Amino acid sequence: MSAPDTHLAQRARELYGKAAERLDPAVGARLQAARLHALAAAHAGERRHFGSGARWLIPSGACAAVVLAAVTLWQPMQPPMPAGTAGTAQGSDLDNELPPDAAQTDPVLYQNLDFYGWLASTDQTAGRH
Amino acid sequence: MESKHDADDDADGNAVNVAVGALDTAPIEAADERVSATSLNAFLAQIEHRAFRLAEMQLRQREDAMDAVQDAMLRLAQHYRDKPPEEWAPLFWGILRRRIVDLQRRRKVRSIVVGWLGGGQDGNGDELPAWDPVDQGPGPLDHLRDAQAYTAMSAAVRKLPQRQREAFMFRILEGLDVADTARAMSCSQGSVKTHLSRAMQHLRDQLEDWR
Repeated sequence: MSAPDTHLAQRARELYGKAAERLDPAVGARLQAARLHALAAAHAGERRHFGSGARWLIPSGACAAVVLAAVTLWQPMQPPMPAGTAGTAQGSDLDNELPPDAAQTDPVLYQNLDFYGWLASTDQTAGRH
Repeated sequence: MESKHDADDDADGNAVNVAVGALDTAPIEAADERVSATSLNAFLAQIEHRAFRLAEMQLRQREDAMDAVQDAMLRLAQHYRDKPPEEWAPLFWGILRRRIVDLQRRRKVRSIVVGWLGGGQDGNGDELPAWDPVDQGPGPLDHLRDAQAYTAMSAAVRKLPQRQREAFMFRILEGLDVADTARAMSCSQGSVKTHLSRAMQHLRDQLEDWR
């Protein structure tokens, strides 16, 4: 670089330095505030980073609760086990407690429902005497 | 022909960088501070005024320059605070450079949109500066000789092509070495030398009074 170039570079840097030093105080104050804000934001970000483990616990717990509820609701909806499996004996006991199948019941029973009702009430009255 | 031109640029660029290297060793105010800043706060405190001036020189508007510097400080603090202190300077200047380019692009788009919407004309049908800010008026520095020289230099630097301007600012004004300048500009060290050589050539022509 020639002497004029060196002079130009020196002069340019000198002017740049002076201009930076003589910056308007209001601008300087705003820059200072911006710097402090940037550092504070970085610190806050760091704290959030360290607390990220705890932050993950909440959605994880929520997911676990939803899964548990889904499993609990799903169990009663299981279809009845087919006959001939291990639970057959228990299943036959349950069948006895069910109302009679209308298709296999004697139709005369339905025709004389009033009579049977009267008979049942008479028996109860006689039992009291 | 092209290769001869490049070879000339390289030779010239090397000469420029040798001389700038010598300039780096010259006693410059606060040069020691630039090296010794070990806390991010101290680093930003010593760099913020120069960063603002550099952004202002390119963007020509104080608010935009303030935004660019604020954003660069925030990003450096958030993403690179754990890097070694000697890496902060090229990282910071690189972030600021990208932010300035972003703002320049946005202005360009805005000016195009305003032009389409017919906002680029006043009541008399004369063209208005769609995005180019009105000069804020002379400040206290403009009453001084140095301020006038600085204004002239800023105007000359603004006329440079983008990459030449960046090479001049980082290498000459900010005093980064070639490697750090290349890192801040996201280019090779050879490109830095070429851009700087051409920038000096243009500035020699524009600032003849300085000879």
